[in-house]
Amino acid sequence: MADQASDLLKDYQAMAKQSWDSWTRYLQQQMAGTSPFAHAAGMPHGGSGDDLLARSMAALKGYGEWLQGAAGSGLGQAGGDWQQSLNQMFAGLGGQPFAHAFASIDNESARSFTQLWQSWLQATQAGAAGHAFDVEHMAAFGYTRERQLHQQAMAAAMRDYLDWAGKYQALIQRANTEGLERLKLKLADLGDSKQQIDSLKALYDLWVDGAEEAYAEIALSDEFRHVYGAMTNAQSRLRLLQQEQLDAFCRELGMPTRSEVTALGKRLQELRRELRATSSNAGADEVSALRAEVAALKRQLADQPAAEKVIAKKPVAKKSPARSSKRSADDEMVRRSSKPAAAVVARKSVVRGATRTRK
Amino acid sequence: MFPPVRLDPAALMGEISAFQRKLSAGLGNLAHQQEPEYANTPREAVYREDKLTVWHMKGQGKPTAKTPTLIVYALVNTVWMTDLQADRSLVRNLLEQGEDIYLLDWGYPDAADRWLGLDDYINGYLDRCVDAVRRHAAVNAVNLLGICQGGTFSLCYAAIQPEKVKNLVTMVTPVDFQTPDNMLSHWSRELDVDLFVDTMGNIPAELLNWVYLTLKPVRLNQQKYVGLVDVLDNPKELANFLRMERWIFDSPDQAGEAFREFIKDFYQQNKLIKGEVVIGGKPVDLGLITQPVLNIFAEQDHLVPPDASRALGRHVGTTDYTQLAFKGGHIGIYVSGRAQREVPPAIHQWLSSRS
Repeated sequence: MADQASDLLKDYQAMAKQSWDSWTRYLQQQMAGTSPFAHAAGMPHGGSGDDLLARSMAALKGYGEWLQGAAGSGLGQAGGDWQQSLNQMFAGLGGQPFAHAFASIDNESARSFTQLWQSWLQATQAGAAGHAFDVEHMAAFGYTRERQLHQQAMAAAMRDYLDWAGKYQALIQRANTEGLERLKLKLADLGDSKQQIDSLKALYDLWVDGAEEAYAEIALSDEFRHVYGAMTNAQSRLRLLQQEQLDAFCRELGMPTRSEVTALGKRLQELRRELRATSSNAGADEVSALRAEVAALKRQLADQPAAEKVIAKKPVAKKSPARSSKRSADDEMVRRSSKPAAAVVARKSVVRGATRTRK
Repeated sequence: MFPPVRLDPAALMGEISAFQRKLSAGLGNLAHQQEPEYANTPREAVYREDKLTVWHMKGQGKPTAKTPTLIVYALVNTVWMTDLQADRSLVRNLLEQGEDIYLLDWGYPDAADRWLGLDDYINGYLDRCVDAVRRHAAVNAVNLLGICQGGTFSLCYAAIQPEKVKNLVTMVTPVDFQTPDNMLSHWSRELDVDLFVDTMGNIPAELLNWVYLTLKPVRLNQQKYVGLVDVLDNPKELANFLRMERWIFDSPDQAGEAFREFIKDFYQQNKLIKGEVVIGGKPVDLGLITQPVLNIFAEQDHLVPPDASRALGRHVGTTDYTQLAFKGGHIGIYVSGRAQREVPPAIHQWLSSRS
C-alpha cells in the first residue's frame, strides 16, 4: 500500500510541478509591467511582479505543498497509526503546515518597512573598515550632534519595534501550534463518534476550523492586545522619526515638506469650517427674523377688529377657493396693507443685509 | 479506537489530480476574464460635494413609497456592496418593492481630506446630503438606512437632527463597541491613535484591508483561495468571485481625523452607549431617537458581533423598535441568496407600515 502511494506521489509531484510552473509563467507575464518604478527606485518590496506573484500565489502554493506532504505521509491508510502519521506529516513540513496563512500576517504590511530598516541598522553598525560601531550609544557631539541624536533615536526605535514584532510573531506561532493540537482533538472526537475523514480537503477544512479557533482565543487575549498595540505604536514612532528625517532632507533641497503640507491642509479645513459656520449662522439669523416677522404679522392680524377681517376675507374666498384659510388670510394681510408693516420692512432689511454679507 | 482518517490511496490521488486539473483549466478562464462589473442599476446624480455623490437609483417603475430612503454606507469599502450584481442587489430588490432609493457614495478621500472630522462628515456632508434628498423628493423628512459605520453615523445624525429623519433602519451597525467578542475593538484598545494618525495621515485602505483579513487569517488568506480552484472552471461563479474580490480590495483610504475620532470615541471609550459622544459641539443621545427603528444584524458577523448591534434596543429612545437577526455574516446579509429572499422584503414591509 505504501509503495503504491509512493508511486502515485511521484506522478503527482511531476504533475504538480508542471502545473505550478505554467501558473507561475502566466502570472509573471501578467505582472511584468505592474510597477516599472519599483526596481528603479531600489524598493525592496515595491510591488514588483515577482513579489506580487509570490504574495498572491502563496496561499495556493502552501496548500499544494501540504497536499504533497499529506499524500506521502501514509496518513489515513489501513493499518497505520493516524496520530503518528499526522505528527510525521506536520513535522515533515517544519511543524508549520501553512506558514503563509499565519506567519505572513505580521509582516505583509510591514515587511518592506522592516527589511528597509534592518538594512539601515546594519549599515550604521558596520562603521569604518567593517568594525562594529554602536551608533545607538555613542555620545553625540560636534557640528552633526543633532543628526547623531536623531540617528540614535531611530536606532532605538527600530530595536524597540523589532522586539515587539518578535513577540507578536511568537504569538502567531503559538496559534499555529495550538491549531494542530485542536485538529488532533477534533479528529479524536470524530473517532469517538465513529465518523471518518475521507478526503484531504475535508482534513484541511477541519484544520482550518481548529487553527481559527486557536487564533481567535489568542487574538482576544490581554497579552495579544498589549503586544499588538505596542508593536503598532513602536512602528509609528519609527515612521515618525523617518518622516522627520525626510522633512530635513526636503528642507535642504528647498522642497515642500510633509509637515508643511499637513499644516496647510489643516488650516484650509479650519477655514472651510469657519466659512460654513458663518454662512449657516447667517441663514439661521434670516430664519429667526422671518419667524419674528410671521409672529408680528399674526399679532397684528389678531389685533384688527373682527369686522375688518370678515370683509377682507370675502373676496379672497371667491377668487381662490382652493386655498387654505390660513394662507388666504396671510396673503390678504399683505395685499390689504396700503403701507408695508413694520415687520415687513424689517424682513427686507434683513434679506438685504444677508445678501450684502454673502457678497 | 475507530480511526478518524481513512484515505484510500487511489481516491486520494484522484482528489489531487482533480485539484490540479481545475488549477490548469483555470488559467484559460482567468486569462479571459474582464474586470467584473457591479450591477450598475440605472442612477442619476442629484448632489455632489467634494468627493461624495448622492445617487438617485432608478427602478423599472415609479416608486410607490411616499418617503425616500437614503442609504448611508460606511467610510470603509464602497456602497456598491448594496448593488453588487443584478441578482444580488439590495438596491434593486428594494426598488422592485416600490421603495424610492438614494445612495450616499462617499468617494475616495485623499490628502486634501486629511482633516475631515466626524463633525464634517455627520453635521456637514450627511446633513447636506439629507437636505439634497429632501429637496429632490420634496419631503420634509427621509428614511435613513445606515450600514455598519454608516449605521452609527445615521444614529448620531438622527439624534442630532430628528426632524429630518422619518424612519431609521440600521444594518450590521455597531452600537456597543466593547462586547467581549469584538476583535477589532480589542486590538484598538492599546493603540496610540494620535501617534498613529499623526504618522500615517490618512489611513491607507490597503492597511485596513490587511487588518480585516487578519481577523480570520487562515480562512481569508488561504482557504478562500483554495476554494477558488473549485470555481475556476465555472465562468459565472468565477466572475462572482472576482467581483467580490474587486469590492473587497477596491477600498477608499480613511480621512485621518475622522479615523482618529472614531477610534477614540467609539472603539476605545465606547462613548455612544454612555451618551457621551459630542459631534461638532452637539451631544448625541440615543435616548432622543424617537423615530421608528428597525435594527438588522447578522448572527455570524465577525466584524460587528451581533451583541454590538443588539445593544441598540437597550439605548434607543423610541417605543417603536424592531430587531431582525439574519442567519449569515457581515457581507452575506447583502449578497447571499437567503438575504435576497429575506432582507429587502422585511425592510419594505417595515417601512410601508410606517409611511
